[in-house]
Formats: sequence, C-alpha cells, structure tokens
Amino acid sequence: MVYKDAMKIFCHLCAVIILLTLAPYPAGAQDRAAEKVYHAESFTLKNGMEVVVIPNHRAPVVTHMIWYKVGAADEPRGLSGMAHYLEHLLFKGTPTLAPGEYSKRIRALGGNDNAFTSNDYTAFFESIAVEHLETVMKMQADRMMNTNPPPADFTSEQKVVLEERRQRTENDPKGFFTEQLKALLFINHPYGIPVIGWEHEVGALAWPEIKSFYQQHYGPNNAILVISGDMTAARLRPLAEKYYGELTPIALPARNWTSVPPMIAQPQLTLHHAYIKQPLFLRIYRAPSLPQSRNEGHALSLLTEILNGGSATRLYKSIVVEQKLATSISFDYDGLKISDGAIWISASPAENISLDTLEKAIDNELRKLIREGVTEQELAEAKIRMQDSAAFARDSLSGPAMTVGQALAVGLTLDDAEYWPRDIEAVTSTQVQAAATTYLNPDQIDKRPYISGYLMPEKKPEASPDSTIMKPEQP
Amino acid sequence: MTPLLTTAVAVALLLATPAHAQNSARQEPPPQPSASSTKPFLAIQEVKSPGGITAWLVEDHTLPIISLTFSFKEAGSARDPRDRQGLARMVSNTLDEGAGNLDSQAFQKALSDHSISLSFSANRDDLVGSLKTLTRHQDKAFDLLHLALTQPRFDQEAIDRMRAANISRIRSSMTEPEWIAARFLNDLSYGDHPYALNSGGTITSLTAISRDDLAGFVSNNLSRNRLLIGATGNITPEKLALVLDQVFSALPATSATQTLKDTSIDHLGQTYLYAKDIPQSIIQMVQPGLDIKDPDYYAAYVMNYILGASGFGSRLTEEIREKRGLTYGIYSSIFDMDHTNGFSVGLSTENKNVAEALRLIRTEIKKMQDHPVSAQELNEAQSYIVGALPLSFSSTAAISSHVLGLQQDEWPMDYYDHFPARIRAVTAADIQRVARRLLTPDRMLTVIVGQPEGVETQPLPTTLPNVE
Repeated sequence: MVYKDAMKIFCHLCAVIILLTLAPYPAGAQDRAAEKVYHAESFTLKNGMEVVVIPNHRAPVVTHMIWYKVGAADEPRGLSGMAHYLEHLLFKGTPTLAPGEYSKRIRALGGNDNAFTSNDYTAFFESIAVEHLETVMKMQADRMMNTNPPPADFTSEQKVVLEERRQRTENDPKGFFTEQLKALLFINHPYGIPVIGWEHEVGALAWPEIKSFYQQHYGPNNAILVISGDMTAARLRPLAEKYYGELTPIALPARNWTSVPPMIAQPQLTLHHAYIKQPLFLRIYRAPSLPQSRNEGHALSLLTEILNGGSATRLYKSIVVEQKLATSISFDYDGLKISDGAIWISASPAENISLDTLEKAIDNELRKLIREGVTEQELAEAKIRMQDSAAFARDSLSGPAMTVGQALAVGLTLDDAEYWPRDIEAVTSTQVQAAATTYLNPDQIDKRPYISGYLMPEKKPEASPDSTIMKPEQP
Repeated sequence: MTPLLTTAVAVALLLATPAHAQNSARQEPPPQPSASSTKPFLAIQEVKSPGGITAWLVEDHTLPIISLTFSFKEAGSARDPRDRQGLARMVSNTLDEGAGNLDSQAFQKALSDHSISLSFSANRDDLVGSLKTLTRHQDKAFDLLHLALTQPRFDQEAIDRMRAANISRIRSSMTEPEWIAARFLNDLSYGDHPYALNSGGTITSLTAISRDDLAGFVSNNLSRNRLLIGATGNITPEKLALVLDQVFSALPATSATQTLKDTSIDHLGQTYLYAKDIPQSIIQMVQPGLDIKDPDYYAAYVMNYILGASGFGSRLTEEIREKRGLTYGIYSSIFDMDHTNGFSVGLSTENKNVAEALRLIRTEIKKMQDHPVSAQELNEAQSYIVGALPLSFSSTAAISSHVLGLQQDEWPMDYYDHFPARIRAVTAADIQRVARRLLTPDRMLTVIVGQPEGVETQPLPTTLPNVE
C-alpha cells in the first residue's frame, strides 16, 4: 500500500504493469538484522557481464532477468520514447528468429515473459521451468546483439506504442496531469521527460537512430543477469559462459545527464477537467536517491514507513481519521534511481474540503514533524515492520530477482540489497528528523523546490461549496 | 484501490492448486503435469477440528509464513438490497476497522505491529477473507481474525470513513472509460437480475447504509455452514485443527441465504455507445459462455487460450496488435459465476480504428468456427497451459487461495492431478465444435466508450447506471 505509485514502468504488454510495491529491498527480522536477506551468489563473466543467482528451491522453476543499464534518461534530446520503443522492438525478431517468435516459443514451453523500461534501466524477464532455462538464455543472447525488426513490424509496433501512450496518458486526465507535474519538477533533467516519450517524438522515431542507440547500449558488459529460483551459481556458470560469455563487449558511452538548475518560484499546476469528479491533491519533491546518499535514503525510507505505513501511522491517522480532511492519503519515496529520487504525496479531499485546506493541513503535519521529530517508539515500530517484510519477500519466485536487479541497475551493490535490514536498523531518529527538515520543509521553497498539483472538476460558475453533493455533474 | 497486476509469479511448491478464488471471472484453471502418479501436484490434507470445522491444508515449512483464505458462500454483493448496493463491500471494508475492545486505530495498529495482513473482499457471489502472518505472530493473527469475525464493532466513525472512501473511489472511477464501459455492460447484460447492480455501491446507496445494515449482514451471513477454508504454510494439521475452533467456532452454525435465479446475458447483437471526448475508444463485448462443469469446458478453455487469452501468440493479438498495431492489448476470457457465465473480449483502440478492430474480431471468431486449429497451435497451447501451472502457485497466499478455489468450485482434492490429461485430451475437432456451439460473433453485446468512427451504435444515456 505504501509504495503503490512510486514506480510506474512501461511494459511490453499491458497485462503486466509492474509496480514494485515492496520496500526497496525487504529486510530480515530485527533480531536477524545483520543477516543477509537473499543469500545471493554472484560472479562476472570475462566480457564484463555481471551475474547474480538467488537460490530458491521450492519448485523446479526460475525467473530469468536481464537488466540493461540504459533507460529513457539516456535518450538523445528530441528522441524521447526511444528506450521504451526499443524494448518493444526486441520482441520483433533477429536474423534467426521471426518477429513475435520469442514470446511464442516461451509460451509453448510453459513460460511467461515480458519486459519493462524505466528512466534508468530496461529489463526483460521470463519465468519458466528450469529445464527450459537454456533455451531462454540462447534466445535472449541472440536478441541482445542481433535485433533487426523488419520495416513492417517496426511500423506496426510504433502504432502499438502510441496506443499504449493514449491508454495511459491522453485517455486519462490524471496520467496526463502527472506527466506535466514531473516535467516541471525535473526541469532540464531527463527524468522530466516521460519514459513512454512525448507523442510527437515517439511518432517520428525511425529505425536507424534507434538501431544506433541499441548498438551503443546493448551488450554483455552493460547487462546484469539475475536469476531467482531453482538454480545455483555452480550450475548456472557453464550456461552463462556458453550463451552470454562469448558475446563481444561494446564500447560504452558515459552517462552524463543534465541536472535541475536552481528555481526561485514555487511551481503549482492546476487542471480543471470535465471528466474529473473527484479532486486530487498531489505534491512531488526531489530528494536524494539511495545511490546518491545511502544514509539519507534509508532515513527517507524509514520516514515513509513512519508517515504512511498503514492506517495507524501518522498521516492517515491525522488527516483522514482525526481531521477528516481526506478520504485517502499516501506518501511514497522513490529512492531507487541513479539520479535524483522523488517523494510523492497524494490525497483525495473529503467532501466539501478544498484542496487548499487539505494542502495546509498536510503542510502543518510536515512542520510538526520537522519541529518535533519522530518518537523512538514510532521509529522502532517502523523498523520492525520493514524488517518483517524480509520473510514475505522471499515468498515469491520473481520478486527477489526484481528487487535485486533493480538495486544493481541503479548502482547499488549486492551487499546493499543483502544487508538492507542492518542499514535500516542503524538509522536514528535524529537522521529521520534531519531528512524531513532538509527535504520536506514546505517553507523553504528556495532551498527545496517542490511542485504541487490540483486536479479538479470543471469550473462551475458560482459553485457553492456543497453543490457537488446535491447535483453531481454528468459526464 | 490500485489496479496492480504483479508479475511476481512466485514460488510454487510441490503442491499446488488452481483457484479462481475470489474472482468471478475465472479464466485460468489448469494444473500441471504430475510426474509420477504417487506424488500429487498439490499435497492437500483435509483437517477437521474437534468442533467440526473443516479446512483444506497444504503444509509447507519452507518459510515462517502462514496463509489462511476463506469464504462465506452466497454472502457476496449480488444479495445486497437494491437500495443498499455496496453493503457487502462496506462490510468487507469495516470488518477490520475495530473489534472486541479494540477500536479502529487499536485494531489496525495491532495488525501492523505484528506485520499481519488481514483483508476482506466481496465478489458478486461470496465474501472472501484472507489472513497472512509470520509464524511467530500467528496467535495474535488468529486472535484478531476471531475478533473481526465474531465481534466487529462497526463504530460510526469507521463506517463514515469507509463510506467516504468508497464515494471518493466512485467519483474517481467516473473518470475512467474502462470503468464506465463496465457499468453499462453490467447493466445491459443482466437487466433486472441482481448481477446488474453495482457491487461497489452507488453514492446514494452507500449513504443509506447504516450500522444496523452491517451488523445484520454479519449475523445473516457469517455462519459455519457457508464457510470454506484453504490454509497453506508453516502450520501442522494438529495446530490448524485447534486454530479452526479458536477462530470460527463462535460463529452461528447455520444461516439462510436468499435464492437467486440463473440469468443470461441480454441485449445480444446490440452495439451501444457512451460518447466521450477521448482519443481512444474502449470496447467491451460479452456473450453467454459455459459452466465450468460443462463437459466442453476444457475444450473451451484451450479454444479461448488460442483465440485471445494468451496475450502474445493469441490470434486476436496477432491480427490486431502484432500485424496492424491497432491496440496495446486485446484479450478474451471465459468467466463463470454462480448464476451466469460468459465469454468476453476487451480492447482499446484509436477512435478511427474501431470499425476495423470490430471486423477483425468477428473474422477471427468465425475462423475459429470454420476451420480447425492447427496441430502446432493446439500442441503449443496445451504445453503452455499444462507447463505454466506451477507458476501460478507462486506464493503461500496464492496456494491457499487456489486451495479455497477448488472447494468453491466443488472440485476434488486431486483436481490438478487430472487436469493436464484433460487439457491434453482436447482435440482440434473439439475446439471447432465448442467454438460453433458457444461463440456468436454476430450476437454479442458490445459497449463502446469514446468517439468511434464508422460504427453503427445506439446511444447510451449520459447518466451512468447504478453509480449515483
């Protein structure tokens, strides 16, 4: 419930929209805070490809994932949507595999496959019986180097991507609005550009420029192989060497991204839309990601749990239960980014409560937090909840591969993922308060810019505050 | 609140079961190849408590986790009084909002302090509950579940808060074209039958629901004769037997349920439009299906997989997405509820492509009737359905939910051991026969939301049915 909006990822197929809902990496029980969570094994192939195996022998199945350290943030200016479109095109054939065949063969072997693209990375995954792992690796290695979609398939897939964009954005005022909010928060930063791309740019992409992007970024030394399930490093190594180890490494470009300049005005966006019937308050802050600052990132993770770790924690208790100003509220920290992370607050106002009133109340909660800090009890309880999630995190085939892969893809280490409970345990209430003071202060716009969004129904002439109850608008 | 589809296909055990537990749309039965006849796909044991309460258990001590999934038959939203639509939903929202001497905040805090997940939900037919706990907190978890079921407080504050959250959810959904299409599809499909009602309630009906309604629902529905239980994880049969009595024995032995008639989908052959100024139209189509106990069910299951359920590789995806780029996703499904069943197709496409997409859907369905599927298509479909079975027995909670599903559907414990053979037995001729028997491409009910071009439609009213 806590992290539901933090990660919107764009997938090859809409059946799988992955919102990584667990805390960055799940932890172990408090008394085992110093133990590893995953007991993963790792090695590196001679061409530089990293390999991680997370053994789980409950059933003879595996999840196989390839994470490329390239995402939408690496796109050349004016070619937005290229990384995501390329992800789709990896399903469109090589000289030895017809377009669409990849997924069909996986299906015929009783497996599921898909892929997703984020700002920082692109990932492909298959879940399948372990006896078919070798087939998957062979095909995956082929499309890492030899993707070459026929023109007709290139064109039809471009239409598919535009339909995907319409479904997520143009058809949905909230999606459209969120896209604009991020564009303003991340001015001059690649995270301000939507992963799916601006409509006019995606529609104009051509294969030669995408191919060049593909050749620059897709190679064994820019990929991480993560396998969870019925496998060990010893059994995997020969297969990994055979299929991935022989691939030629590529010359990797530096990933130099532009950054956000100082801003002196508080940006606030308002959208009145005829199709909106329930107003919504949104706020986004930029904040350090875990790779940028592990200590602050862990403090922000704990702060998130303290504020929003269930309906008995601060924000819901104060804003929804006690003050009755909202019907729901969430506070999410997205810290698994290479560059800046973000904190999202969203809340649906209760009937007859203006967004302005709601925003002021949320600001007051933040001020109180900054002034008084969190209690030792809140801190201890939040740590236990987070650390308990470790046992639950292992109760999944693909979950550990997703989590560990994401951590590595944004530049954390395997130890960061393994010892996360220990790092959480070490966070003090002083650090939590300091993180809140530094990154959430609503009264220091010049130092910590944030953006607020008001999503509202169509303006009515002379609307009295309670007119919406009596006369609901017709769409 | 958030529509998440996790990919997390997680770990299955050597056990397994299918189950459509809570969802009425059952499109995903099958089980797996049982290697040796001695080792069942799912090692289910029947556990009977001293007090006479029965559960199906899949013991698994790999992780310190216990999952309990249970349902009360015929306690779903279809039995909501017309002027109290959303009652079952409101009950499911408030059962965990305080019980015994714990008020809402105290109850929620007890759950979160012990990392216990407890949730209830109402589908049209049944009320479903699910509990997941670490072994070390199991006693607290079972105690809280017992309290929630037998001494729910229904404090006015919690009722008002959940009501407000539901009304807010409805207003928020009113923006979504898919939700709008579903409201009309439901209403047109089932007419006067209670399945036409909005299980999430209407703004008016939610406002009318009182504490007495909630308490009355509990005493009229939560009884042992309507209870089914699936359990999985780190618990022995002996311990579970004691837990069953501890949690459920205080419930009344029996309660009466209101009989519903069977119904079938209405307005077949009609295409309706809810005009909305959006660039992409949402299309939802439905027609009658077949019962899961129908001898043709397995043939229909494989047929539906080949036609549209498989995503990549399905004929609809191939023709409409892969070849022509007309949609991001198109799916067909077969669903079965207590009193109706159906076959549905859904997609979204740019307004100008709607006519072509509809034509292609009809063509593909007719092709399924006019020609047998190829041996390769059939074989690949069967391989997937059988081979992917373990992937859906991915977590402790998924397994207990599947074990409950078997009981809800009244299948025997060894259902999954026979499932592969039943899927493998389906022939191309069976598929063609069931396609002819079942599918009526020219007589489906179609609802479109958007501004489709080139399609003849009948207008829908601007007021959404069963919403306000």
